[in-house]
Amino acid sequence: MRKLIGHKKGQFVIIAVLMIGIMIISIGAVMNRAVTYYKQEPWEEYLTLMGSVELSSRRLVELSLANYTNAINPDSNILKANLQKWQINLTRIYPGYGIAINYTLANQLYNVYGTSIRYSLGLNYTWQKPSSFSAANATFNLDINSVGLKGYRFVSVAFLNLRILNVTTDTNEIAVAVKREDVVPVTGLGKDNFEVAGLGILKVSSRYDQQYLVVYKIKCAGALTLPVTVRLWDTRGIQVTAKYP
Amino acid sequence: MTMKNRNKGQIRVIETILASFIIVVALSFVNIFATTPSSPRYEATDLQKVGYNVLHDLDEQGLLPRFVYKGDWGSLRAALRVTLPSDVYFNMTVYDLYNTKLDDATIFYGDPQMFATSKNIASVTYGLVGSPIKIGAAYQAIYEPRVVILRLTRG
Repeated sequence: MRKLIGHKKGQFVIIAVLMIGIMIISIGAVMNRAVTYYKQEPWEEYLTLMGSVELSSRRLVELSLANYTNAINPDSNILKANLQKWQINLTRIYPGYGIAINYTLANQLYNVYGTSIRYSLGLNYTWQKPSSFSAANATFNLDINSVGLKGYRFVSVAFLNLRILNVTTDTNEIAVAVKREDVVPVTGLGKDNFEVAGLGILKVSSRYDQQYLVVYKIKCAGALTLPVTVRLWDTRGIQVTAKYP
Repeated sequence: MTMKNRNKGQIRVIETILASFIIVVALSFVNIFATTPSSPRYEATDLQKVGYNVLHDLDEQGLLPRFVYKGDWGSLRAALRVTLPSDVYFNMTVYDLYNTKLDDATIFYGDPQMFATSKNIASVTYGLVGSPIKIGAAYQAIYEPRVVILRLTRG
């Protein structure tokens, strides 16, 4: 009888050892999975690629608008032509990813940041007004087959608005407000960014304004006479020409 | 009766010690197999992410296209040195779409031997579409793609 009990104790020890082993392996497996799991997610890798393609596409829309607004004979097909080339070149720049990009150009009346814009092949400029603007708009669809991404949609808008607020002929000063996409005031503009028709510019200074946030004061080198025409180029090379009144 | 209760208490203490022992053994066991973020297995992927982020940030700020299209390789090298961690060596090459090398091989930092011997070298490809060039008062904005290849390794 005693022997039997002793044998049972032996069995208990074996079972206990097995259970302890299972516990150690289970905890080990769970911990190992917890430590390494996040690394197996490929999303970070293709997010950076998506970000690069999206930024380059936006840059191309801005570049095309800069070309359109600076040309002596503007080519209304420039955005479409550039995007067609971009579609082809993208596969050469990022080979092996299975990248494909499709685009749609804005081609009708849009309300952009409170301004009605009638796009033609994704481009429009309305100049020679106290509030003038240049704008471009394209919608993209991105596929990256290597990571199974289909139909990632993003919109690239380029917008530059120049508003002549006031012209003071006594002091030869012009007050203007400059805004870009999302009605964000453009900061850091200087003498090189502006041109006043028929006059040199002595100085460009900026000040805070409650309504427009940033207002530029252009001090002209000669006597100002109305109407006044002001040209602006931002750092992206996009041009706008406004006329007052 | 009192003796029995005392014995039970001792067994509880032994059980607790045993349980703690199991947990400690399990954690030690995990450490042998755990692939931590600093593992060489992930080094190239990590460097690739760093490279992408750096190029993306420089592009977002407008610095990358400006330096590349002006051929200002010295400023580009300085910008990369400031942005990348000091123990990361880099070698950047700029090509046009026809694989013609455009830079003068100076966008480089670190020991050249490292790129020949290191097992963990990350390569990042980044595309640029163009940059407006100021001519007089106006700008010339031409679509002229460039391919930037940034190779990274840890020193």
